[in-house]
Amino acid sequence: MSGGMQTLPPTQAPSSVEYGGDEISALVLDPGCAWTRAGFAGEDTPKCVIPSSYGAIGGKEDSKPELVFGDNGINAIRPGMEIKNPMSDGIVADWDVAPQLWRHALTSRLASNLSEHPLLMTEPAWNPPKNREKTMEIAFEDFDVPAFYLAKSAVCASFASGKATCLLIDIGASNVSVTPIHDGFVLRKGVTRTPLGGDFLSNQIRTYLASINVPISAHYQILSKTAVDVGKPAEAVLRQFAPGQEPTASYKTYQEERVLTQFKECAAQVWNGPGPLPPATTPGAADQSFNFGGGRTFEFPDGYNLVFGSERFRITEGIFTPRNMLTHPDIPHPDPETTMGIGSIMASALKDVDIELKGQILNNVLVTGGASLLMGLTDRVNSELGVAFPGPRLRITATGNPVERKYAGWLGGSILASLGSFHQLWVSRKEYDEHGPGIVEKRCK
Amino acid sequence: MSRSGVGLSAECVPLFEQLKSRKLKYIIYRLSDDKKTIIKEKTSEDDDLHTNALPKEEEAYEKFLAALPELDCRYAIYDFEFDVGEGKRSKICFFTWSPDDAPVKAKMIYSSSKDGLRRALAGVHTEIQGTDFSEVAYETVLEKASRGR
Ligand SMILES: Nc1ncnc2c1ncn2[C@@H]1O[C@H](COP(=O)(O)OP(=O)(O)O)[C@@H](O)[C@H]1O
Ligand SMILES: [Mg+2]
Repeated sequence: MSGGMQTLPPTQAPSSVEYGGDEISALVLDPGCAWTRAGFAGEDTPKCVIPSSYGAIGGKEDSKPELVFGDNGINAIRPGMEIKNPMSDGIVADWDVAPQLWRHALTSRLASNLSEHPLLMTEPAWNPPKNREKTMEIAFEDFDVPAFYLAKSAVCASFASGKATCLLIDIGASNVSVTPIHDGFVLRKGVTRTPLGGDFLSNQIRTYLASINVPISAHYQILSKTAVDVGKPAEAVLRQFAPGQEPTASYKTYQEERVLTQFKECAAQVWNGPGPLPPATTPGAADQSFNFGGGRTFEFPDGYNLVFGSERFRITEGIFTPRNMLTHPDIPHPDPETTMGIGSIMASALKDVDIELKGQILNNVLVTGGASLLMGLTDRVNSELGVAFPGPRLRITATGNPVERKYAGWLGGSILASLGSFHQLWVSRKEYDEHGPGIVEKRCK
Repeated sequence: MSRSGVGLSAECVPLFEQLKSRKLKYIIYRLSDDKKTIIKEKTSEDDDLHTNALPKEEEAYEKFLAALPELDCRYAIYDFEFDVGEGKRSKICFFTWSPDDAPVKAKMIYSSSKDGLRRALAGVHTEIQGTDFSEVAYETVLEKASRGR
């Protein structure tokens, strides 16, 4: 290194083994709440994407349960299998299980020996220091990796879109987060989140379906189905279970979740603004409060199908106007009065940013995350930003490619770890042995 | 060191000093072929801007824009001169050029290496992240540069 950087020696001498280039490919792991994404550095998409949910079978007082990871395992019908998830609000909640899940993602299809591959992991910008140290500890002590790096998933996603400075809006399963980034560094005070992600949306759909007494069927329950007219009772042959052989309630919920994701993909839509979705006209009568452009048919796995009209918008409005979220006494939901909508968290994320930088950031708004694929979502984000920041020129970028939306953080990590120059950033085993897990704070900013 | 580990070649900062002392109108930087350092690609000197009678600002700026690749990324510094009725002023602009259609790897390496170059150059007034030519059009930049701090 030379020029202006000459006066700034690297914090550590580059480790003797070069991990960049093609010699040994690094592994990249992006652990989300819904999905755990793993693959080789330098590739465009993660080769192994498994649910973050897992199955737990058996396990009494004295024996540990058998854990099942991956799509095939957890979707199989097994009596007594509970479906659980080690993540919460984007960070690890169960440190016993998360490392096993990660190991499964890394070794089931990618690498047989983790001690041969440097590992880059992504983390949310709100990951607490204790978790960061713990993650590094797992990498070195449990996985025995030769080198490790922990990168902010928002920064990776921003880089992958060619932005050093941006406002990254990530709508994942557990929350919506807004991260202001300046020259590749997170502006920490501005990181804001609200629990209105894909899981919230699922519960909004559940709430609506409960209000019209439509049960959600799941694929595993159906042996065969017959086409029926709109709104007519389903004619399906249901799978029968011998007493004691039924799947657990958590399994059923997880299977319903897959149907709800389909509902989000093809039926749900976001009101484009400006302002909140107008309230429904007369209850019971056809909703004519706004032009929702005709209905959409959604067919449940048992063949029951219904045309959804203005409700397609009502179930998503809570993300922007929490006060108007749908509620049901038996379905959990955040507090409608105190929860901030996307517009408010965007405004709050930028309130301490100086005016010049704010202009730059608003000119580079990025939208990622699986639930950001909701129809009409980016238009509404645009309109809400326009209300919050009437002055500056707004420019919102959201790739039309669903794969890139879901894997933006992973992809950024993948390229970063594959850069020839990146070998200087890896924390080596030797450095870890010398300094302990506290080195994560110094090296992985 | 930048976020990506990419460093600066020895010429990066001295060229910028030359521009500050008004010997250069613009500088375009690129990644070296081995992708490990930032190097000079081109400066206004290569356009003979200073041997002829000084060209009009718009003309110099057009030459600068023409040097930005359509499908690849660059960094650039431009000494933007304008007169919006308060006499002649000049403001130094830092460009991060990252067109939407550039390969993702190029976008990635330029965005993750930017902080290293940016921090080494003191005296930049306006920053422009350009993803298409409309964002770096003369009027757009004029509007930004002439807006006081
Ligand atoms: N096309 C879609 N429209 C709306 N929501 C979607 C779509 N595809 C996936 N989702 C939702 O996105 C969420 C997962 O997003 P993702 O960014 O992959 O999550 P995480 O990073 O938290 O693991 C789930 O709640 C899922 O239902
Ligand atoms: Mg995510």
